[in-house]
Amino acid sequence: MKKFLALLLAVMMVISMAACGGNNTDATAAPTDAADVTEAPATDAAEVRENKVILGDITELTGDFTGGLVTNGASDMMIYDLVNDYGTMVANQGGNYVENPTVMKEWSRTDNEDGTATYTITINEGLVYNNGEPITAKDYAFSVMKSCTPFASALSFTSGTKDMIVGGAAAYAGEVNYVSGLHLIDEYTLSLTIVADYANYYYADTYAAVSPWNEEFWLGEGYGIADDGEGCYITLNGEAIVLEGGGDAEANFRAAMSATDGYVSAGPYSITKYDPATSQCTLDINPNYAGNFEGVKPSIQTIVVVRAEDATWADQLKTGGMDIYAGITDGDDINTLLDMIDEGAELRAIAYDRAGYGKIQFLCDVGPTQFVEVRHAVAQLLNRDEFVNTFCQGFGTTVDAPYATCLQMYMDSKDFLADNLKSYAYDVDAANAELAEGGWTLTAEGNEWTSSEDGLRHKDVTGLDVNTDGCIEVGGKTLMPLQIQWYSTEGNPVSDLLAIMLANSDAVAQSGMEIVLTVGDWNGLLGAIYHEDADGNKVAPEYGMLNLATGFTSALYDYSFNWTDDPDYVAMGYNSNYLFDMGEGGLDQLSMDMVYAVEPGDYEAYLDLWQQYIVRWNELLPEIPLYCNIYYTAVPSWVEGYEQNSFWDFADAIVYASIPSAQ
Amino acid sequence: MKRLVYIVVVFFITSFLMYCLFSLIPSDPARNQLEGVKKSMKPEAYQQMYEELRDKMGLDDPIVIRYARWIGFMPDKQSGEFDGLLQGNFGYSLLRQKDCVDVIKTPMANTILFNIFTTILTLAVTIPLGIWCAVHKGSKLDQGVQAFTILGYSLPQYIIALIFIFVFAVLLKWFPVNGAATPGSTYTGLRELLDRLYYMSLPILVSLFGALGGMSRYVRASMIDALSMDCIRTARAKGVKERVVIYSHAWRNALLPVVTSIIGWFLSVFSGSLVLENVFGLNGMGALYIKALNGSDAELCLAIQMFYTVVALLGNLITDLAYGFVDPRIRVNK
Repeated sequence: MKKFLALLLAVMMVISMAACGGNNTDATAAPTDAADVTEAPATDAAEVRENKVILGDITELTGDFTGGLVTNGASDMMIYDLVNDYGTMVANQGGNYVENPTVMKEWSRTDNEDGTATYTITINEGLVYNNGEPITAKDYAFSVMKSCTPFASALSFTSGTKDMIVGGAAAYAGEVNYVSGLHLIDEYTLSLTIVADYANYYYADTYAAVSPWNEEFWLGEGYGIADDGEGCYITLNGEAIVLEGGGDAEANFRAAMSATDGYVSAGPYSITKYDPATSQCTLDINPNYAGNFEGVKPSIQTIVVVRAEDATWADQLKTGGMDIYAGITDGDDINTLLDMIDEGAELRAIAYDRAGYGKIQFLCDVGPTQFVEVRHAVAQLLNRDEFVNTFCQGFGTTVDAPYATCLQMYMDSKDFLADNLKSYAYDVDAANAELAEGGWTLTAEGNEWTSSEDGLRHKDVTGLDVNTDGCIEVGGKTLMPLQIQWYSTEGNPVSDLLAIMLANSDAVAQSGMEIVLTVGDWNGLLGAIYHEDADGNKVAPEYGMLNLATGFTSALYDYSFNWTDDPDYVAMGYNSNYLFDMGEGGLDQLSMDMVYAVEPGDYEAYLDLWQQYIVRWNELLPEIPLYCNIYYTAVPSWVEGYEQNSFWDFADAIVYASIPSAQ
Repeated sequence: MKRLVYIVVVFFITSFLMYCLFSLIPSDPARNQLEGVKKSMKPEAYQQMYEELRDKMGLDDPIVIRYARWIGFMPDKQSGEFDGLLQGNFGYSLLRQKDCVDVIKTPMANTILFNIFTTILTLAVTIPLGIWCAVHKGSKLDQGVQAFTILGYSLPQYIIALIFIFVFAVLLKWFPVNGAATPGSTYTGLRELLDRLYYMSLPILVSLFGALGGMSRYVRASMIDALSMDCIRTARAKGVKERVVIYSHAWRNALLPVVTSIIGWFLSVFSGSLVLENVFGLNGMGALYIKALNGSDAELCLAIQMFYTVVALLGNLITDLAYGFVDPRIRVNK
């Protein structure tokens, strides 16, 4: 026994030493097989490279390549985008949806008498998947159909498609096996009929954005899609079926969604190998790819996606463990990157504004934040410029309303916004003047407030239609103290800085205001927003202020229902500011009109309403935009043509990139 | 038999307590899952999908009913069949939308592979080192070893990892900074295993450095006790060779307290290391467990916890049996 143990230990040690040893200097290549290690001539080491880039991504690859249909990991979605690009309409470099002429021959919209609208789409002939199979209208119809079946419910697809297509909801519920609003016209033409509620929508044309999904790859051999005139339905060996969860279809789907190889797709790249054990994915150029919406095809042969780590990403770049690292936001990290470049690293930095911002969100149904003058005062008691510079270490900006500087609407409204938006710059006197004007002039005893020595400011809210929770009764009057309850998630550096620069600042104390911080977890924050306890039961509002972040998706700027006063919708979590600005020119009407009263494509009318909405929002200030990071991406200097922005990520940018020094 | 009944009872009590604890975490998994798509849906559609999800997840049922379904005492709500933990169903991960077994198997395999080599290397280094230090107790080299190994014992593993990366990966370029395999490699068989081992080398060395102080001291102390026993003095007086005295007589006596530790090391092959996995980008159990906790994925957390519960219970049994094996004077049933 002892001899066996000794032998076993010795063998393991030898293997370990063999694996660990060697005099290999390429830290990313295994040292044991000299034939597989490419050694460039010593004199021209930098001249000739492999036509390959290694992308480091901090989010984990989980192997769900369904484009966010099942889960929504950022790395998984990026892989999906790299291998799927035959959408009929796609987002361009500015984040706007444009037609994809590589894929779509023609399309039209017909407004029907019942308020629905029918989109008829004809795709080009000759398109094929990466495995050579032809792409037809059936593949596009299946991508819609899959979300309109009980199968989608069983697999918890996060897609609202079923509610947008006529007949989608009935098919989803299993009442019928066909979708009456989805038709196959001929081999290369399909039509989609959108329900009336969604048809009269500014962004309705985006419903014509469909991508091909190969039925047999996703569901298994024998599955298909057909249309006898009533609408599309799923077939199995030629027979109409109701596609439900369980069985071989679900097993096939689950196997396909994280296929380690053989993933059938139509994009610039194909998955050559996905290895869950190492969390790596290797992709190679799809030779059957016809080009993106501008007809561009990729030239970098291989992309390897590897895991990057917060603590060691710079070392990975230095040692060749990865070549491209996107989305660097932390000031220290950006400085590290810039220092590396200054020290001669073969890198360049691409900077772009984040499409979103960190913010203070006011809940306007409890406490002092019900009053606009208090929200204004809070904004003016915080030196936002200093906050941005401190938090982002010089790599950030700020905005005055809900927009990002990379949004098309902002770019078309720069002068207008400069003239019409108030910046609420740091001004303690102005904040105090607003408070005084708003009636925050009393002490807790009901006397006149003169300075911070009198304690907190109070406002007489007797007879006002406001939530009086937390108020005190003095001499027959109801007085509301200027005390704001603030909820933040734990370990949040934004909160730490806000506590120093706002909540615990002299400016706030001297203004007779108090901001009380409660720290909790993310679920607690959601509970604070939705007024729910840990068990999901509705509770009375408690917090008037939160800090979190928001982002803008490409193309769609839709805040409809976000200012509704419908109690059912509010209970569901719509209008999470609890600010009910109804009527003509109010936030509710403007946000609804922007997308439901403007014809699809009428950008001028949309922009006009967008500007009114932004100005009104800026007046009421339901949130304070705090900081908008400048993102950095590290790209090797030997990669040319790679440009990135918030709406144009790695999957888009790499198609335009090349390695001139590649073999 | 008594021990086996004890294991079963403890298993069920633990499973119930665990289930209750994870159910108490304030979260609404259905809402969390739909939060990302809420903006793109109209309120009615959102509400319908939300209610469907809550129903499907059984979130509105009493905790005892949910536990009974999860453990397998009651039939599943949808299928109507008994399909719980006792039937081999470890649950469904909301985070990954997959069966927990499918989520766990890859990180578990990685963790086991990593820990097997770490354990063997650690024991192979620390046991001889501890014995050597005990035999040469008080020598300058022994003092030097004690001082050096205490470094690994005292420094946080995170710091050791960063120092090792800087020295061995960035400066010397002996090892890769992190990762689990050569990017884009298509190796198979032994070549693939060696490639994986090469990438594991640095975290294994970090782990070894961290373990040197503890295990070698434990062995050293145990051996010092054993070497001072009367039987050792008698053996030496009888002229038995020093090597035989140390490795046959003293080591056997020193083994009893050490065996618990050694078995513990082997049982820990299933345990992930959050620090090492995060610094070195390894797809292991530590990182998965933290992700499950952060994502409020109760069933995935439970599956992992219950697995460790079973391992711990069996580990205790094995340790007790091992005592009897190492020292025939000890019997489990006494």
